[in-house]
Parts: sequence; C-alpha cells; structure tokens
Amino acid sequence: MNDKTVLQQIEEGYKDVGHKDSHYISAKEGRIIARANSRIVSRLEKNKKRKADESEYVTEMRDPNNIVEFDDLHTYFFTDSGVVKSVDGVSFEIPQGSVVGVVGESGCGKSVTSLSLMQLVQAPQGQIVAGSIRFRTEDFLYGEDGKPIPLYEYVRDEDGNPMLDEQGNPTVLTRPVLDKKGNPKRDKNGDPIVEKVQATDADGFPAFRRVSKTYDVAKMPASQMRKIRGKEIAMIFQEPMTSLNPVFTVGNQMDEVVLLHVPGATRESAKARSIEMLRLVGIAEGELVYKKYPHELSGGMRQRVMIAMALSCNPRLIIADEPTTALDVTIQAQILELLKSVREKINGSIMLITHDLGVIAGMADYVVVMYAGRIVEKGTVEDIFDRPLHPYTVGLQKSKPVVNQKTDWLYSIPGQVPNPIDMPDYCYFKDRCQSCVAACNGEYPPLVKVSDTHYVACYLANGAKESDK
Amino acid sequence: MAKYIIKRIFYSILVLLLVSMLIYGLVRLLPNDYVETKLFPMLNQGTVSEEDITRMKELYGIADNSFGGIVKGYFGWLGNALKGDLGISFKYSEPVSVVIGRSMWVSFIIAVLAYILVYLIAIPLGIKSAVKQYSVLDYSVTTFTMIGISLPGFFLATALIKIFAVDLGWFPQQGLEDATTLNEGFDRFLDQVYHCVLPMATLVILSVGGTMRHTRTNTLEVLNADYIRTARAKGLSEKAVVYKHVFRNTMIPMVTMMAGVLPSLFGGAMILENVFALPGIGKLAYDALVVGDIPFIMGYEMFLAILTVIGTLLSDIAYVLVDPRIKLGK
Repeated sequence: MNDKTVLQQIEEGYKDVGHKDSHYISAKEGRIIARANSRIVSRLEKNKKRKADESEYVTEMRDPNNIVEFDDLHTYFFTDSGVVKSVDGVSFEIPQGSVVGVVGESGCGKSVTSLSLMQLVQAPQGQIVAGSIRFRTEDFLYGEDGKPIPLYEYVRDEDGNPMLDEQGNPTVLTRPVLDKKGNPKRDKNGDPIVEKVQATDADGFPAFRRVSKTYDVAKMPASQMRKIRGKEIAMIFQEPMTSLNPVFTVGNQMDEVVLLHVPGATRESAKARSIEMLRLVGIAEGELVYKKYPHELSGGMRQRVMIAMALSCNPRLIIADEPTTALDVTIQAQILELLKSVREKINGSIMLITHDLGVIAGMADYVVVMYAGRIVEKGTVEDIFDRPLHPYTVGLQKSKPVVNQKTDWLYSIPGQVPNPIDMPDYCYFKDRCQSCVAACNGEYPPLVKVSDTHYVACYLANGAKESDK
Repeated sequence: MAKYIIKRIFYSILVLLLVSMLIYGLVRLLPNDYVETKLFPMLNQGTVSEEDITRMKELYGIADNSFGGIVKGYFGWLGNALKGDLGISFKYSEPVSVVIGRSMWVSFIIAVLAYILVYLIAIPLGIKSAVKQYSVLDYSVTTFTMIGISLPGFFLATALIKIFAVDLGWFPQQGLEDATTLNEGFDRFLDQVYHCVLPMATLVILSVGGTMRHTRTNTLEVLNADYIRTARAKGLSEKAVVYKHVFRNTMIPMVTMMAGVLPSLFGGAMILENVFALPGIGKLAYDALVVGDIPFIMGYEMFLAILTVIGTLLSDIAYVLVDPRIKLGK
C-alpha cells in the first residue's frame, strides 16, 4: 500500500508536465501523464473494489441536524491532457428537510459534486481523490445471519399497549400458517404451526429494526454504496427523454427499485407501490402508464415517472440534477411544484442543481454558488439574493431576465469558464471580473464568513476596496 | 403485422424475379460452355463433328446465344421453375433440387455448429471487453480477433491442415468420411463430425472477430447511455446493469446480422469446402460453375436469393420482438 496520500501522488506524478503557457503537450509529457494517470486510477479503482470493514467508513456527523456534509471534496478527472480538477475542495452541508440549490454555469462542477455523492462519477477517468462526504442513513439493523431484523406486532390490550408476558417482555402476535387451500398447517403432533406477525410500516411494507448510521461515501467500497443508491439517495436526471431504458416498460423499471431495496417485497406489492407512486406524482391513470414503454410518454410524463421512481423507496435525499432544463416552461412549473409537494410528503431533503436562478429563488432554502470547481459563495436564499457579495453571483443575477424591466440587452458575464487543467493560483474569476483589485493577483481567496450562514471567497468581501486597483 | 408480412412476401417475389433475370443473363454470358468443354477432347480426336456439337447444344438449350435466345431460354427456365421443376443438372445428371437437398445438409451442419460456437464465444467476449475497455483483456481479445478477421480463409484453412492434420496428425486432412473403414450408424456420424472439426474451427476463427467487434461497439455505445446511469443510480449491481439493461439494448443492432446468417447457414462456404474437399453445396456449386452447369447454378443462386429474402424478413420481425419502439404497420 502506498503511504502517500493520493493528492501527494498527483502532485508528484505530474510535476514534470509544464505546459503552463501553452496547451501543447509534447510526446514526453503525454507519456508522463498517461503513466501517472494509470497509476493513480488503478490505485483508486482498487480501493473502490476492496472488501472493507464497516469501521473504515462509519463516521460521525459534525452537526446531527445535517443529512449530508461535503467536506473538502476533491473529484478529479484524469484525462490524456492532464488532471481536470472538476471539484476542488468543496465543503457545504445539506440540513435535514431542506432544499439546497447548487448554481453555476455549465462546467462548474455542480453535477460532478452530486455524482460524487452517489459514487457515480464516470469511472475510471473520474475519481474522488480526497475529502469526505458524510451521509446519515437510517439503515436496517442486520442480525448475525446477515438479514435485517424484523419488527413484530405485539398482542395489545384494550388501550393499545403491548401485553407483557411473565418476564415483562411484550408478547409477539402470532398467526397460524395457512396452506394453499386456506387451512391451517399442522405439525406431526397435529398442533397448528404458527408464525410471528411482522409489523408493517406506513407504506404497507414489512417493517425492520433500523439504526441511524453515518457513512463516509468517499471511502465506501462500491458494493456497500449500492445499498444506499436508490434507497437512501435517489436521483432525478436532466434528460427525461433518455434517462429511461427504452426496451423495458415503465412498470418493470419502477418495480426493479422496490424489489431491490425493500426486503420481503413481492412482484404484487412492488406493482402496487409503483402505481401508488405514479399517482403521487400526479399521473391519474397509473395502471395504464405502468404498462407503457417510455417512448409512448411525453417528456413531462417521463420526468414524472423518474420522480415516481426516485420516490418509491422513501429516500431521505433526492438529488435533482437540472430536472427541468429539458422541459418546456409550463411543464417546468408543474414539475417544480411536484418536487415541492413531494418533499413535504416524504419529509426528505433535496439537492437541487440548476443554472436557473429563478428556480432556486422559488425552491431553495440554502444556495451554493460554484465556479470552476470551487464554491465562491454560499448562504441562505436571502443572503444570496438580497446581499450577494461575490461578483460572479452578482453577474449571474444580472443575467437573469426580469419581468417589468425594460432593457435593450440582457446582461451576460464576459468570457467563459477557464480551462480546468492547470489552473493558476489566483481567483479563477479574475479574468472575467469587472471589479478586480490589486489583491486579486495574490493566491486564491479563502472562503470567509460574513455572517453565521453567509460565506464568500472574494477579496472584496474580505476588506479590499474597489478603489485600490 | 400480418398485412405487413403479406406485403413483404409480395415484394420478395418481385425481388426474386428480378434476381433470377439478372443471374440467368449473367450465367448465359459466361464464356465457358458445358457442351464444348465436355466434347472438346473428342472433337480433337475426331470422334464427334462440329455438327454433333451444335446438335448437342440445342439439346441442352444453350445453342442460341443471341439476346432473343437468352430471353427465350430464361422464360423456358422460369416456366419450369414456377412448376417446381428446376431442371436436371448437366454435370450431376440428377434433378437440381435433389442435388441441392442432399448436399445442403453437410454444409448446414458445419455452419450451424460453427455459428453456435461463434455466438457463444463472440457475444460474451464482446460484452466483457467493452465493460473492461482498455484493459489487458480488451486489448488481447481485440488483437486476436483482428488477426482472425484479416486472415484469408483459404490460407487459414491450409495452415490448419498443415499444422493439425499433416504435422500433428490429430485430424484428417480432407473429406467427410474415412474411406478406409466402413462405418455404420452412430460411428459413421462420429466419424463425420471428426472430419468436420477443422473446417468448423476455420469458420469460427474467421467469423468470431466480426461478431465480437460488433457486440463490443454496441455495448460501449449502450454503456454510455443515460439510462444506464439511471440503472446504476437505482443501486443495481454491475452484473444486473450489464446483463439486463445493457444486454437487451445491445441485441437490437445484433438482429440485423441475423439477415446475413440464414443464407450462409445453408449456402455453404465455397472456398473452404474446396480446400477441405467436403461434398457440401458450396463445393458442388463451385464445380458446376467451372463447367458451366446452367441449371445447377441457377438453382443454387435462386436458393441463396430466397434464403436472403427470408432472412431479411425474419430479422425485420425479430426487430419487433427486441425493440418495443418498432411497430410493423401498414
């Protein structure tokens, strides 16, 4: 095993590649990059495939009110022309029951941040190289046989309190086991065979004992991660037209999630659950849509199906990656309304990724503004909209069309997101910023606390005056 | 659907008619003439005269090589063929349908076993090497299959004969049966299979590459699709993702290949059967072509044309089965 951290290994592996001034890569540099890439990627891939003991990735939340905490997350892509630092030291948290909006232009690392949380970054090029993502789950409590421990119904008295046996333990409710004809089965003594009655949860599924645990997603092996995907964290993607498999029916694809994650789910119960979910997202003829293929549905319907699919295991967090970008404006509004109402129903949290500030203003409680893989500003929705501090946030807001305001030109931020390979060590937004000061030529500005909720990475907010240019 | 199929069959008949015209014209324009080839030595010796040859040609129906003569000959052939009579082979002196019916099974058995092997090897290998793209397995599989694609069939066949039959002596060099022993029943069958091992191996090596690369490309394309990311986001294991969600989508373009398989199953491999001296339909057709056996060539070519037409129709129907987005209407 390598004693060096991955970040040190990256630092060392590419130190001989010096294309600071040009994007031309010599053959020799190409070879150095390829060698370093394969070494680092194979180390990280091996790490993901390892069999890890739970203690390696169980941690504690910094604040128990949060459901997710990103802590100094680094997700890099190892490409032929060098390391692309898509997410470079991102820290923010998603409080339980809140909507956190992540905004930024295309290529800012919004989607990669969310895919890191799901461990779905395009492997092998894309890898989480450092940092941690803490996620609080309500996992099943597994018994010694590796199966989840069921919760049983108790025999209750008239007041609804469980009746106690001689030892003072509650008596478990039992019922006779029936054969196919409905007659009670008997053992060889002629006594009826009884089984314990398992309690059911609010959704009518068998209930199991649960335990609250915090996992570090960045350290979890892939096999463990699969138990969280779809069950604890569900994802809604940008393109409803291509996000459903064209050769399977809607029902087939929806049942799959339930059958996978709910112990004791049968085909019938999964189907009932899927149809119920379709109703929940406002599809009246659930049974009809259940039998349809994705190509028979419109874009808005497909996005509803995606949301229904995401909801079917009662996830505690929904990641919505530009859920309305591909839809027309009227459907957009419907889908956003739906997401809002759904959040109230399941009492979960939503991580909403978008470049549409209007969507954020209507939906989010907290906003994270990303630029070139880093957070430039974060705060509550009021902080960001009423008191924006970073010139980039200000620019984003200015470039949003406003009703009842007459202008000849819609503002746009000049220039574009810089090439993410070999970023210089000064504020990445410097070259596009219209309020640059002398301090901006220095190293990348640190994230400073403006108020309890409001943070910004800009020298202007840090005391520098616009006048000392 | 039924309407579509009936329509397609009607079109197929039209296609076959045009194909038969074209082939008949081409065959008649070939410079080799069955009667002349056969009687040329006798003419030299003086046992037959020019007149005899002309009379013989008339008897065979190949005397008049003018446009009118060819058209007349074609309609004569067509009339008989529509009645189910493909004529009597010049070379084999038996009805064409009987010769085809007999020799096709040799080719069929070799091809069927070879194709089953090809699919059993190529599809899993293609999927594996796509899933592990740029791995050692991927590189070695693609290299070896590329070699297989590039080798000419006759060369590979000769090389295999040299190595495994002549030098090592593991397999017989040629033929379908051992002429030195008289085998009956099951022993005879085993002996035939034993003789078919090398031809089958050649066919497999030659065609595994194409199928494998086809599968690999399709799988790679599907693996990058959005719905595969959705499947992963559901928490499905990599196995379920690949063998349920990827596989079904990979199979859609693979169905196109089915159209080409049917004629090659029954049509025989002309060159391979010659190298291995197998009495399959391919070798018979080759020999008939060399001497200008018009009824047999016509019968063989039409047989292939019909198989091709059926193959495309079947693959169109198979599309409906694998891809719900496709409906055969109108």
